[in-house]
Amino acid sequence: MADGDRKRRVLVVEDEDNIAIALDYLLTREGYDHERIASGAGAAERIRASRPDLVLLDVMLPEVSGYEICQDIRADPGLAGIKILMMTARGSAMERRKGLALGADGFIAKPFELKELRAEVRRLLGSEEGM
Amino acid sequence: MITRLGLRLRVFMFFAALALGNLAAIGLGLYFGYQRIADPELISAFVQGAIIAGFAMLGLITWMWFLFDQNVAHPIEQLASGIRARTHAEVASDIDHTAGRYLGDLAPAALAVTQHLASTREALSEAVQRETTHLVQLKDRLEALLSDVPVGVLLCTPEHQLVFYNGHAVDLLGGLEVAQGPGLDRRLFDYLHPATIELAYARLREINDADAASDLLCATTGSAKVLAARMRLLADDAAGPGGQMPPGYVLTLRDVTGDLAAHEAREALVAEFLDRVRRPAANLQSVIGVLAEQKGLLPEGLEGALSSEAASLAHAVNELAARHDAERANWRPLPMVRASDLTEAIRVRAAVDGVTVALDAAALILRCEGFEIAALLAALAVRLAPGRRDLALHVTEDGAGALLALSWLGAPVAVSELDRWLDAPLEVGLANVTGRRVLQTHATEIWPEPGAGVGARLCLPLREARRAHKRPAPVLRSVVYDFDLMFKERAASVMEARLEDLTYVVFDTETTGLLPAQGDEIVQIAGVRIVNGRRLEKEVFDSLVNPGRPIPPGSTEVHGITDAMVAEAPGIAEVGRRFHAFAKGAVLVAHNAPFDVEFLRRKQAAIGAVFDHPTLDTVLLSAVVFGQGEQHGLDALTHRLGITIAEEARHTAIGDALATADAFLKLLPSLKARGIVTFGDVLREVRRHGRLLKDLNG
Repeated sequence: MADGDRKRRVLVVEDEDNIAIALDYLLTREGYDHERIASGAGAAERIRASRPDLVLLDVMLPEVSGYEICQDIRADPGLAGIKILMMTARGSAMERRKGLALGADGFIAKPFELKELRAEVRRLLGSEEGM
Repeated sequence: MITRLGLRLRVFMFFAALALGNLAAIGLGLYFGYQRIADPELISAFVQGAIIAGFAMLGLITWMWFLFDQNVAHPIEQLASGIRARTHAEVASDIDHTAGRYLGDLAPAALAVTQHLASTREALSEAVQRETTHLVQLKDRLEALLSDVPVGVLLCTPEHQLVFYNGHAVDLLGGLEVAQGPGLDRRLFDYLHPATIELAYARLREINDADAASDLLCATTGSAKVLAARMRLLADDAAGPGGQMPPGYVLTLRDVTGDLAAHEAREALVAEFLDRVRRPAANLQSVIGVLAEQKGLLPEGLEGALSSEAASLAHAVNELAARHDAERANWRPLPMVRASDLTEAIRVRAAVDGVTVALDAAALILRCEGFEIAALLAALAVRLAPGRRDLALHVTEDGAGALLALSWLGAPVAVSELDRWLDAPLEVGLANVTGRRVLQTHATEIWPEPGAGVGARLCLPLREARRAHKRPAPVLRSVVYDFDLMFKERAASVMEARLEDLTYVVFDTETTGLLPAQGDEIVQIAGVRIVNGRRLEKEVFDSLVNPGRPIPPGSTEVHGITDAMVAEAPGIAEVGRRFHAFAKGAVLVAHNAPFDVEFLRRKQAAIGAVFDHPTLDTVLLSAVVFGQGEQHGLDALTHRLGITIAEEARHTAIGDALATADAFLKLLPSLKARGIVTFGDVLREVRRHGRLLKDLNG
C-alpha cells in the first residue's frame, strides 16, 4: 500500500459527451482523480505523459480506434502497469476476444449499468492494490 | 460335293442310280441265263424279256421317284424355304403345312416353330416399341422438367467444357444478348469466374462420394452477377470406360445478386438501427443511473420507474444485438470445408505471389466460405511477407469452432495497418468483397497477437468446426424417380391392393438377444424399399442403435457388433423415429416378422410413433408357396430361390434385409400363380396356414 494515499488516476477516452458526463460523476463519486480525452488522436501520448492507473477506453473513436490505442499501450513496456477497460457499443463475443487479445484487462458492452461499470473499475484498480 | 446339290436332284440321282443298277442286274441275269442255254434261237426271246422287264422296272422306279419327289423331297424343300423365309425374311404368314402331309409330324412341328418364332418376334418388337416409347416419354418429361425448373442447369466435362444447359442457364449466363449465351463445348470459364468452381470440383473429387454435393458462390464474367451454385459429380459409370477418366459434373445455378443486395440492405439497416439506438440507450442508462444515485433529486417512484425502463431498454438492446450477432453468420448456410483443403488453397494462392506459407492444420472440418477465407488469408500473407519470415498457418480447435492463426518471425503488425489491409478489395471473383466483408459474412474478427519469442501472429476464429472423423461408408442415395407412380391407380384400401402395387419396406434387426421381454434390445436396424415391384437400390436405411446395455459376447459373435461400435450411436428412440419415417405408408416385410416387430412395438412409447403398418412375413409366404414340409429359414429360402448372400453380409441387418427383399420379390410371382393377387388374399391364405398374423395385422 505504498501508494495508498495517492488518489487513483483514471483516464477516460470517450467521444460521446453525454456518457462522459455520467462517467465524470461516477468517477468523482468513487474518489478517483480523472480526466477525459474526446478523441483517439493523441490519446496514446496523453497516456504516456499522465501514466494513469486505469484507462477507460471507448473502441469506436474518431481517427484512431480504441484497439489501436490499446495495442500501442501494450507495446510499450514502460506502460505495463496501466489497466485498460474497453467499452464498446458493439459488444459481440468476437470483439470482446479481440479486445482482450490486444491486451485489455476488461471489456464492457454499452449500454451498461453504472453499478456494473463501477464493479469492473473497482475490480481492476483493486487488484493492483492487492499486489 | 454331292451335299451341295439340291435335295430333289439328289433324290432324282438316287432313283436314277437305282434304275441303272436294276437295268444292269436284269441285263446281267439274262446274259448269264442265255450263256447257260447257249441257243442262238432263243436270243430274241431273252432280248424281248429284258426289254419288257427293263421298261416295267424303269416305269415302276420312275413312278416311285415321282411319288417320293412330290410327297417328300419337294415338301421338305418347301418347308425348309418356308422356315428360312420366316426366320430371315420375317414373312408373317403361316407356313403351308398341307403340302407336307406325308411327312408325319415334321410339317406341324415346323408350323409350331415358325408360329412361336413369329409370336416371340412380335412380342419382342412390341416390348421394344413399348420401352422405346416409354424412354422417349421419360426423356421428354425430364427435358420438360429441366426446362421448367427455375434454376440454371449445366452439365460439364472434367475439363469444364459445357455439354448440356437449359434455358434458364442461358438467361443466367448470357444476359440479354443471345449471342453471348452458353454454347455447347465452350469452356464454362468463358461465363463464370473459375476460382470457386475449381475449388469445389477439387473438394468433391477429394471426398470421392457420388452422393456429395458442394455449395458455392460464383460470379459471371460479364455482368458480375453473383450466382449461388451447387455442384454434384456425375456417377462413375458415366465417366468413361473403367471409370478411369475424372468425372464430369452438374452445376445448378441460382441468381442471388438480388438476394445478396437485399440481404445486405437489410443487414445494414439492422446494424444501423442497433448502432443508433444503442448509443442513446447507453447514455440514457448511464445518466439515469447517475440521477438515481443522487438521492432526493427525483421523487422515489419516478426514480424507480426511470431506472427500470432504462434497464429494460438496455437489456432489450443488448439481447437483440447478441441475437443479431449470432444470426449474422446463419442467413446463408456456409459450406463445410476440410481444414487441410483450406490451408492448401491458401498456400497455393500465396505461392502465386512468391510467398511461402508453411501449413499445420488439425484434422478439422470448418464451416466457412472457403474461397473467401482463403483469399483473405492469402492476401494477408502476401502483405505480411516483406521484412518477415517463416510464415506459417495453423488451424487448431477453439471451443466449438476453430482458430486460424497466421504466424511469422519479425516485426508485429499494427491494428491500424491491418485495418487498411482489410478495407482493400480481395480477388475472389466477386465484386466489392473486402476482408472486412469476409469477416462480417463469418461474424468474426481478426487481430494481431504477440507470438512466442520474436514472432507474432494474426488470429481469425471461425465459429463452427467439427473433428474430421474417418468418413463412414457413404449410403447410396440419389434422385430416384419412377414416373409410373404418377399413373398408378391408388388402391382403395391395402386389403384390396394388388401385391405388385404396394410399397414395401423389407427390414431386419440385429439384437442383443432373442428375448425382448427380458430386456434384449435392438443394436442395428436396416431396411430397403420396394416400389412398383422393384427394389430401390438407393433407398436404404441402415443404422446402428445404442442398446443402452452391454451386448453379450454370444450375440456379438453372431452379428459382429460390439459395445464400442454402438457407443456413439443414437438410441432406439431416435433411430426408431427415423425408421418409422422411412417406413411411412409402406407394408413392413421381414423374415420372421413377429420377432422384429415385437422389438419395435415394445419401444413405441420412447419412439413416439406406432408401428401399425400392414405386415408380411416371408416365413409364412414361403410356407404358402413351398408347403409346410420344407425348411423356411432365411438360408434355406434364399438357397431354394437361387439368391446368394455374401458371407460378409450374412447376419448384418442390411445383408439380411436385402436377401429377404430379393426372396420376397421372387415369391410374388408364385403367389400370383396360385391366385393370390391382393394383400387380402395373402392374409387369408396365411391364416389358412395356421400361424396367424393376427397380432400384426389385426
